[in-house]
Amino acid sequence: QKAIIRVIPLKVEPIVLEGEFANVAEVTPAEGKLLQSHPLSLCNTSEDEHTESGFITIVKLEQPDRDPNPCLSLANKAKLAGERGARAILFDITDDESAADQLRKPRGLSQPVVLIRGHDAELLMGVVNKNREAHVKIEVKEPPSWPDYDVWILL
Amino acid sequence: VHPNVSQGCQGGCATCSDYNGCLSCKPRLFFVLERIGMKQIGVCLSSCPSGYYGTRYPDINKCAKCKADCETCFTRNFCTKCKSGFYLHSGKCLEKCPDGLEANNHTMECTSVVH
Repeated sequence: QKAIIRVIPLKVEPIVLEGEFANVAEVTPAEGKLLQSHPLSLCNTSEDEHTESGFITIVKLEQPDRDPNPCLSLANKAKLAGERGARAILFDITDDESAADQLRKPRGLSQPVVLIRGHDAELLMGVVNKNREAHVKIEVKEPPSWPDYDVWILL
Repeated sequence: VHPNVSQGCQGGCATCSDYNGCLSCKPRLFFVLERIGMKQIGVCLSSCPSGYYGTRYPDINKCAKCKADCETCFTRNFCTKCKSGFYLHSGKCLEKCPDGLEANNHTMECTSVVH
């Protein structure tokens, strides 16, 4: 299921991106302040000083060979992020496409998990890199009412 | 440039990336998560900053925060200096010293009663 991600940085034009809801969690809208989380912050041996809840966390996943022994599975990292107050978890999977498979199995996590990649992810990480406070709205993109046929035959 | 070490790597990183900072540290260094505004990056230090304690794991050495009432600590459960308003006693931070001990407002510790 596609997701529409509206990123509203302070004093800068909003940007609208597209992502994909992962089946590991509910497909549901969410919104909150954007906050980056380092992949290693989502481990039981790490804690995040950020104590407010109600944020949306973005995690830039690295190539799998750069983290050969992940502390938790991606599903459990998403679960941990939710337990720490995240309203939704965005995974930039540009460098780790295997993440999509890891997050395909339904686990009923209540906070939505959205996968983002390529140019959309680049734009989002650009906001993060500028460290500009931003609000994020995640919406469920309804499928088009007309089915996606490539060819139409008009009689 | 070695593929695992991008140009943005700080000195202590063994591997790093532009968005996440350090991903792993050189031997003996401690990995610390640093939050700067909305960003969170990994950094590698020779010792943990004040307010943190170090733990060595097989694959990584990590710094973690002391308890909320503790300013500096040796481990999570052994404080060496308490925050303002607390007295140090046997590695713990107490709002009131136990019976038989008196609060030393100079050292902010619980000490034996001097007769």
